[in-house]
Amino acid sequence: MTCLLCDKALDDQPTWQHFLGIQKDMSACPICLEKFERIDHVIEDDVLDSVHSLYAYNEAAKEYLHQFKFMQDIALAQIFATSLRSVLNDSKKIIVPIPMHPINKRKRTFSQVDALLEAAKIPYQSLLEKTTESVMGEKSRSERLAMTELFRVTADICSNEAVYVLVDDIYTTGTTLRHAAEALKQRGVQRVEAVTLFRPIREK
Amino acid sequence: MSERDQLKQFLAGRIWLRHLLPFPQETVDEAIRQGDIHIEQGVTTKKTWHGTHYACQRCHNENPTRFTVFACAQCEAPCAYCRNCLNMGRVSCCSELLTWTGTPPAFPTDHRMNWQGNLTPSQEKATRELLDSTIQGISHLLYAVCGSGKTEMLFQPIHYVLNEGKRVCLAAPRVDVILELLPRLTTAFPDTRVEALYGGAEVKHFDAQLILATTHQLYRFHKAFDAVFVDEADAFPYTADETLQRAVRKAVKPNAPIHFVTATPSSQLLAMNKKQGKISILARRYHGQPLPVPRNEALWNYEKQLKKKRIPEKLLRWTTERLDKQQPFLIFFHQIELMELAEPLFQKLDERICAVHAEHDDRKERVQLLRQKETPGLLTTTILERGITIPNVQVAVVGAEQTIFNKGALIQIGGRVGRSVPNTSGDFVLFHQGITRAMDEAKREIRKLNDTEVPQ
Repeated sequence: MTCLLCDKALDDQPTWQHFLGIQKDMSACPICLEKFERIDHVIEDDVLDSVHSLYAYNEAAKEYLHQFKFMQDIALAQIFATSLRSVLNDSKKIIVPIPMHPINKRKRTFSQVDALLEAAKIPYQSLLEKTTESVMGEKSRSERLAMTELFRVTADICSNEAVYVLVDDIYTTGTTLRHAAEALKQRGVQRVEAVTLFRPIREK
Repeated sequence: MSERDQLKQFLAGRIWLRHLLPFPQETVDEAIRQGDIHIEQGVTTKKTWHGTHYACQRCHNENPTRFTVFACAQCEAPCAYCRNCLNMGRVSCCSELLTWTGTPPAFPTDHRMNWQGNLTPSQEKATRELLDSTIQGISHLLYAVCGSGKTEMLFQPIHYVLNEGKRVCLAAPRVDVILELLPRLTTAFPDTRVEALYGGAEVKHFDAQLILATTHQLYRFHKAFDAVFVDEADAFPYTADETLQRAVRKAVKPNAPIHFVTATPSSQLLAMNKKQGKISILARRYHGQPLPVPRNEALWNYEKQLKKKRIPEKLLRWTTERLDKQQPFLIFFHQIELMELAEPLFQKLDERICAVHAEHDDRKERVQLLRQKETPGLLTTTILERGITIPNVQVAVVGAEQTIFNKGALIQIGGRVGRSVPNTSGDFVLFHQGITRAMDEAKREIRKLNDTEVPQ
């Protein structure tokens, strides 16, 4: 096996732990993984009951998302499988990925959030549908804040008491997540949390 | 020139993803309708008894671990893509690769060669042999020691192919080599369309007749060249990566020759050319002096000592001697981590000493500093093993027993020493903890080349 990020051969000496299935296969080498800075940043606001961001959006994260989303390297979803699973392992919570517009999804050939969850083997429900084709990354801050409804709830909400967890790849202004949370809350959901893989942090 | 002619010049000899073609869709569609373009599935699948076998039609990768299968939203089926050539745009089962099958473009046949250098008698002989093989269409191995003036020997054969109105490619595994060759070839062929292709470079001249490319870029060519010269044919990753070797074979037209140029041919390369082609050996440097023979010096527990923030005694003595005599030096390490550990220790001796490795963007500048004597010496990984000339440089290898220092690497490293007049020799020391076969073989090979009779 080689590292998914740097293509160098992984040090995969056979061990008893591996043979017994305790130790999992590595997908990236320790040197590459070290470049991702774990922050576990949690915030709250009026719509979102909590937003948990796992990693800092640093140079390595930028490169990662570029290769994953724009070079369409879906294999990279595997890299954060373990860390996503560890924060999304509560089976009582309902996991809802932030969707892509169907046209954009066809262009990219996959939806990155779905791919991340599938790689982590986390069951999820696609309750939302994106109503506009426009992409957040191409907008200025004021444009983002002025947007009207972005998401529609497509399926029935079966239980209002359950906790819903939105999942997205990156938190920037929070507009996307707030819109998605509002759409769910309008349908009577009590508590909406969110988990994002990356979040930019200010340099100290 | 019409857009259609441009499309022809661009696509002829190339294999390109349809959605990445730099042309409007209508132009491409029109050419397809007229039967000038062949469409191919990006990744082909074949069912076998032990699963599905995938093959990338661009880079000819067939290694199952280099494919990823996923549920594709475009073709709405399980789809595989190739990770081997991913950075040139993803090729998957549902992507289309285009090749030009219409009339080929014509190239000029009157090229001026602007080069008045003198070749030594042995260079002269090798050039003539290489030219003969090119005319006959036979593959040729030019086995010439480090510092024998290899590039100059390629000019005449390249000139010949260009004047036939044919396309030539000069390929090398490393970008550094390509960037170094480019100015030399543009001055040698001032009227010829020359283009350098490497990772991150855009195709600018669609009608380039002489193409300099990293071997990776040849993934994107298909029956394009009437001759390919592979420079530094033994360099990493070319020898280690079979798809690169296939890429070279794919890039030439059927029956066109592939020439290899190297100072350290692998036994495989030698055997191949003995069987199917011809070999010219150039055992002497252009200045006629012998190659420096390595000197072995035991250096036990160097790793442990460096970790304890101490430069091993012998290495320290060697370095201070270089500093006292004001000789520029290179110290090779097998591992970036170890080198970075050693960097501050060496900086205590002289704070201008610095380290160079592949991820440094300014490595060119640092080497330049060494040439200008702004810095007394550099610590480096094998990245500087070839292609650089520094007058009067002295070389040490720390951990010469490491597997990364194979025979070829050691000969190349030694090839940095004594390249230019008047400093035609110098110290080449291998610090080791146990002599390996590679070290012995390198020494034997250097001695053998030095003993070879040369025509005067």
